[in-house]
Amino acid sequence: MNDMRLTEKSVEANDTKISARGVQVYYGDTHAIKDVDVDIADQTVTAFIGPSGCGKSTFLRCLNRMNDTIDVCRVEGNIKLDGDDIYDKRVDPVQLRAKVGMVFQKPNPFPKSIYDNVAYGPRIHGLTRSKAELDEVVEKSLRRAALWNEVKDRLQAPGTGLSGGQQQRLCIARAVATSPEVLLMDEPCSALDPIATAQVEELIDELRSRFAVIIVTHSMQQAARVSQRTAFFHLGNLVEFGETGQIFTNPSDPRTESYITGRIG
Amino acid sequence: MTFGVLLLIIVAIAAAGYVLGRQRARNASGGDTRRLHSLTGYHGQSVMLFSAVPALLLLGLWLLLQPMLIENRVAGMIQPGDIPEGGSAELVMSDVRRVADGLDLVVAQGALNESDLAAMRADLTNVRSRLAEVGVAVGSEISPNVFQAAKEYRRLDTRFGTAMTIAVIAVALAGFALSLRRITPEYRARNVSEGFVLTLFIASSLVAILTTFGIVASLLVESVHFFQLYPAKDFFLSLTWNPQFRGGSDLGIWPLLWGTLYVSFVALLFAVPVGLMSAIYLSEYASKRLRSLAKPAIEILAGIPTIVYGLFALVTVGPFLRDYFAQPMGLGSSSSSVMTAGLVMGIMLIPFVSSLSDDIINAVPQSLRDGSYGLGATQSETVRQVILPAALPGIVGAILLAASRAIGETMIVVMGAGAAAKLDINPFEAMTTITVKIVSQLTGDTEFASPETLVAFALGMCLFVFTLGLNIVALYVVRKYREQYE
Ligand SMILES: Nc1ncnc2c1ncn2[C@@H]1O[C@H](COP(=O)(O)OP(=O)(O)OP(=O)(O)O)[C@@H](O)[C@H]1O
Ligand SMILES: [Mg+2]
Repeated sequence: MNDMRLTEKSVEANDTKISARGVQVYYGDTHAIKDVDVDIADQTVTAFIGPSGCGKSTFLRCLNRMNDTIDVCRVEGNIKLDGDDIYDKRVDPVQLRAKVGMVFQKPNPFPKSIYDNVAYGPRIHGLTRSKAELDEVVEKSLRRAALWNEVKDRLQAPGTGLSGGQQQRLCIARAVATSPEVLLMDEPCSALDPIATAQVEELIDELRSRFAVIIVTHSMQQAARVSQRTAFFHLGNLVEFGETGQIFTNPSDPRTESYITGRIG
Repeated sequence: MTFGVLLLIIVAIAAAGYVLGRQRARNASGGDTRRLHSLTGYHGQSVMLFSAVPALLLLGLWLLLQPMLIENRVAGMIQPGDIPEGGSAELVMSDVRRVADGLDLVVAQGALNESDLAAMRADLTNVRSRLAEVGVAVGSEISPNVFQAAKEYRRLDTRFGTAMTIAVIAVALAGFALSLRRITPEYRARNVSEGFVLTLFIASSLVAILTTFGIVASLLVESVHFFQLYPAKDFFLSLTWNPQFRGGSDLGIWPLLWGTLYVSFVALLFAVPVGLMSAIYLSEYASKRLRSLAKPAIEILAGIPTIVYGLFALVTVGPFLRDYFAQPMGLGSSSSSVMTAGLVMGIMLIPFVSSLSDDIINAVPQSLRDGSYGLGATQSETVRQVILPAALPGIVGAILLAASRAIGETMIVVMGAGAAAKLDINPFEAMTTITVKIVSQLTGDTEFASPETLVAFALGMCLFVFTLGLNIVALYVVRKYREQYE
C-alpha cells in the first residue's frame, strides 16, 4: 500500500514523454481521430479505453508511425517524442519504431524459431556483442513475458506452433527485447488466461520503472489495476483524460461514466 | 442427321426432363412441396441427368468405335494387288476414306444423285477427274476395288450413322421415362443426383489419371523396344551421341543430358534472381498504380511464342554474345551456344518466377510486416528476414515450375544452342538438349523400327523420370518448410 502512494506521487513528478496536439487521422474519407490532445508521461502506464471502433488502435499506431504503412491513412497535427516532432521529414520512422515498440492486437509471431523471434530486434539493431549476450537478452525477455518456463526446452521450435496466448506473450517478449523507450500494447491480454494476464500485468508494472507504457484494453478492471492515467475515447474523440483513480471514481463527462458503468460500449 | 442436331435433341430432352421432373414432383406432393423428401429442383435435376448423361456416353463411345468397325469391314474388300509397290494397306485405306469423302461432296453439290453413283464404275468413268472437279485431289489412279470399297464405306457410314441416332435418342428417352416414373414424394432425388454428380467427378478425375498412365505406358512400350535393339548399358553409360543412318550408331544419353542441364542451369541462373527481385519490387515497394501496369507488362513475356524467342536468340543475342564476349575472350566463334539459349530462355522464364512469386509474397499476411516494422526493421530487413522465409515454400514451387519449363523447352534450344551433341564446359560452345534430339530423331528419315528412331522414346522416358523426380523433390521441400512454419 505504501508503494501505491509512492507511485501516485511520482506521476506528477514525471516528465512528458510524448505530447500530441490537434491530431486528426483520416482513412480515405473516414475521419477516425478527431482533434486529440494528449500528454503521455514517462515511467507511467497510460490506459486507452473506449468502445470498439472508437479509434484506440488508430491513435496508438500514430505514436510510432505505423500508420505510414497504410496507403489510405493520413495523419495531421503534431506529435512530439522528447520534444522532437516525430512526423518531421528528418525523422527516420525506422529509428522511431526502435524507440517506440509495439505489441499488436492479434499475435503475429514470425515464421521463425522462438529464439529467433525474440532475437530479431536485438539482431537488427546490433544491441548485443556476443552470442552469450544475445542468449541472455532472449532469456530475460522471455522470463519477463512469463513464457520462459514453457519454452525453455524448445527454443528452436517454430514460434507459430505455440498456442494463441503463448504467441501473444512471445510477441511481448519480442517487443521488450528491443529495449524501447515507450511500449505500445494493443490489447495484449485479450487472448490470455487469468494467470498469464496477471503475469503480463506484473511485467507492465515492472516495465514502468524504465519505459512509458501505453496499453489499450477493454477490461475496466485491468485499466484500473495497471494504469496510473486513463484516456477515454469515444467515436474518435478523446472524451476524458486524467488520473486513473479519478476517471474511475469521479468522471467528469457523462459519457465516461456511462461507459465505465457499462451503459455504452 | 448431323452430329450437332443430335446433340441439340439430347439437350432438348434433358431440358424437358428438368421441367417435367419438377412439375411431376410438385404434382406428386399434392401442392405442398414440403411433403417431398427433396426439393423439386433436385427431382428435375435427376431426370435431366438420367436423360442426358447415358445418351452422351453412348454417343461418345459410338463415335470412337464406328470408324474402327467400318474399316474392319471394308478392309476385306482390298486385294493385295491393290496395294502399290512400296505402299501399305494403311495408305490405301486412307485413299478409300478420301474417295468416300469426295463422293459425299460430289453428291452434296448435286453433280450426281445416289442412283447414278450406285451405277458408276471406276473402270468406265474417270472418277479421279470427277473428284478433282469438286476439289478433292487423289494421288494415283483409282482402282475398281478401291472405288467399290469407298462406296461400301459410304453405305456403312450412313447406315451406322442412322443406327447411332436412333440408339442415342432411344437411350435418352428411356432414361427420361424411367427416372420420371420413379418420382414419388419419398423418392430421394437429392441423394440420387448428388451421387450421380459424385460419380461424374470421379470419372473425370479418372480420365486425367488414366491418360497419364496411358502416356507412360506408350513411352514404356516403345522404350522397351528400343532397349531390345540397343544395349541399355551403352545408352546410359556412353559419352558419345552419334546416330548413323546405316546402323552402328552411338546413342549415349550423357551429352544430351549435360546439354539439357547446362542450358537450364544458365536459364535459371538468370531468371531466378531477376524474377525474384522484380517480384519483391512489385509486391513490396511499387505503388499500386505502378504494380497494376508493370505486372501485366511482365506477364506479356509469358505470352510470346517460344519460336519468337528463338528468332531473338538466333539473330540478336547469339551474334552479340559471339562478337563481344566469346571471340574477344577466345572462347569460340559459334553464335549458337549454351549461353545464347540459356539467356533467352531465362528471359522467357522471368514471368513464371516473378508473377508467381509476386502472388505468393502478396499472400504473406500484413500482420507479419507490421510486426517487423513495429520492431524498427527497415523494409529490406523485413523482406529478407520475414517475408522471404515465410514465402519460401511457394517460391521454391515457382522456381521448380520454371525449371521444368526450362528442361522441356525445345524451340529456343534449336535456334539458340544448335543441334550438335557435345560434352563441354565452355558455355560459348554449341550444344543440344534431349528435347531437340527427340524431335530430330523422330522426324528423321530412318525407319520407325530402328534404334535411331526408337531412342526418342527412351529419351522421352528419361525426361519424364527426371521431371517427376524434380517434382517429388519440390513437394518434399515445400512440405518440410510448411511443417516448420505452420
Ligand atoms: N486500415 C483501415 N482502413 C480503413 N479504415 C480503418 C482502418 N483501420 C481502422 N479503420 C477505421 O477506423 C476506425 C477506428 O478503428 P480502430 O481500429 O482504431 O478501433 P479500435 O478502437 O482499436 O477498436 P477495437 O477495440 O475493436 O480494436 C474504425 O471505424 C475503423 O473502421
Ligand atoms: Mg483495436
